[in-house]
Amino acid sequence: MGRIIVITSGKGGVGKTTCTANLGMALARLGKKVALMDADFGLRNLDLLLGLENRVVYTALDVVSGQCRLDQALVKDKRQNQLVLLPAAQSRDKDAITPDQMKQLALELSQRFDYVLVDCPAGIEMGFRNAIAAAQEALVVTTPEIAAVRDADRVVGLLEANRIKTINLVVNRLRPAMVQANDMMSVQDVQEILSIPLIGVIPDDEQVIVSTNKGEPLVLADNLSLPGLAISNVARRLEGQKVDFIDLDAAYDKSLLARVRRFFR
Amino acid sequence: MNADPLLKPATSPVPEPQDTEPESEAPRHGPGPSSVYFKSERDKLLLTLPKPVEPNVAWLPLWEELQQQIRAGERFWQVNSEVELIVSDRLLDQGQLQMIAAALDQVQLKLKRVNTSRRQTAMAAAAAGYAVEQESPALPLQSAANAAPLENPLYLETTIRSGTEIRHHGNVVIVGDINPGGSVIATGDILVWGRLRGVAHAGAQGNPDCRIMALQIEATQLRIANQVARTPKPPAQFYPEVAYISSEGIKLASATEFGKNIFVPPQEAL
Repeated sequence: MGRIIVITSGKGGVGKTTCTANLGMALARLGKKVALMDADFGLRNLDLLLGLENRVVYTALDVVSGQCRLDQALVKDKRQNQLVLLPAAQSRDKDAITPDQMKQLALELSQRFDYVLVDCPAGIEMGFRNAIAAAQEALVVTTPEIAAVRDADRVVGLLEANRIKTINLVVNRLRPAMVQANDMMSVQDVQEILSIPLIGVIPDDEQVIVSTNKGEPLVLADNLSLPGLAISNVARRLEGQKVDFIDLDAAYDKSLLARVRRFFR
Repeated sequence: MNADPLLKPATSPVPEPQDTEPESEAPRHGPGPSSVYFKSERDKLLLTLPKPVEPNVAWLPLWEELQQQIRAGERFWQVNSEVELIVSDRLLDQGQLQMIAAALDQVQLKLKRVNTSRRQTAMAAAAAGYAVEQESPALPLQSAANAAPLENPLYLETTIRSGTEIRHHGNVVIVGDINPGGSVIATGDILVWGRLRGVAHAGAQGNPDCRIMALQIEATQLRIANQVARTPKPPAQFYPEVAYISSEGIKLASATEFGKNIFVPPQEAL
């Protein structure tokens, strides 16, 4: 049985889909069989980020309605054959599928794959309930902003109420320079409120936008960018490896002395 | 609702006036029977579901609240206790009863008895194999019990996260934080063994003698009886504090200070 992990945030635009795409790719590169499930019915994006849009023939809805078999709907990635995508339907909305049906799909996938990553839509309505229905674990993605953290907190509460006990935190789009200038919440500030284990800190980077637009996940680059490396590290931590967090502040210390001072702060 | 600045420390020499608009006698936030509630009674646990305000309040929020309460109280029950479910005039089907039974089963509690005033619920419970107690529908006047005695204190070991609201007709003890966006509304005192960053309302049915105590107070709002206050800018270092009503409105005092100077032992025996 594979692990079913939902990637969720509450607030929109914090990087759930980007994380899902990259994390899936990173896990596949570690030699794992990975299925990505787009639970964002009506607003699907995951296929775009993976550059698989033009290969989508059937969607999860077609599987549910019996118009095709599950493996017909799975889109194999062109670069990593360990990775498949189960696309969401774009034409329908979030009520087109029920939590039970989602659960069945995810469980079926988990028989055949090591990881089933479910990309959750923003909000806490039906789409969210669908996405978490089958999950045994959750990754909560947040950016260091009060609104995002507040929503993440609400989502953690809902996950707990739905008996999902393993919940890990990804802090996305961190800007170390702003944190050092006290203009942005630090990872510690976020953790203090959410009080769940931290599994990744991903710095803000223009490269992410470039890779998104190209449909070419960051972790595939030969020369890994900082955010690419950070996501690969999340994948390795999911695999149970102990990986130290990248010292994102290092580049912003003006001198060795500043660095030593920061160490003691 | 006006939020007024709070004075700190309590012995501040120039007290600012607190012109809180007094709310109506019956506060909107009276923590009535609107929460899921566990109570032990001799050899069994009573699990009360809130009376539906509208014909049938959505099942999902109730279900979530129930699971939350089960999780937060997990440590305090005797294993294998029997549970009597009190649902009054709420409509529950067999599937919902089974969900409740399964959730209780996970913390090793056994649903044995269902107490309801609705025929359909009684039939569903009987069909699912639980003992049924059917009471006659409660008279509407009966629920307006204003001076009802306080319930047992509610003791929760959990973080109250954004969007969660705990209501209790009695004192509340939270072992954990109250996060911004979360709120606790109690007829009695509120004691937080953790950080208070959300909203706390003590003495919600109008008792101005109630207090809010927390290891660290950075509340969004503090409410006692019919007064409201914001907390001042958080101090550099946190220490346990008590919020209480003085003649000038809600005040904060450090717990040690409060114990020494302000707290007057109650005249009546507790």
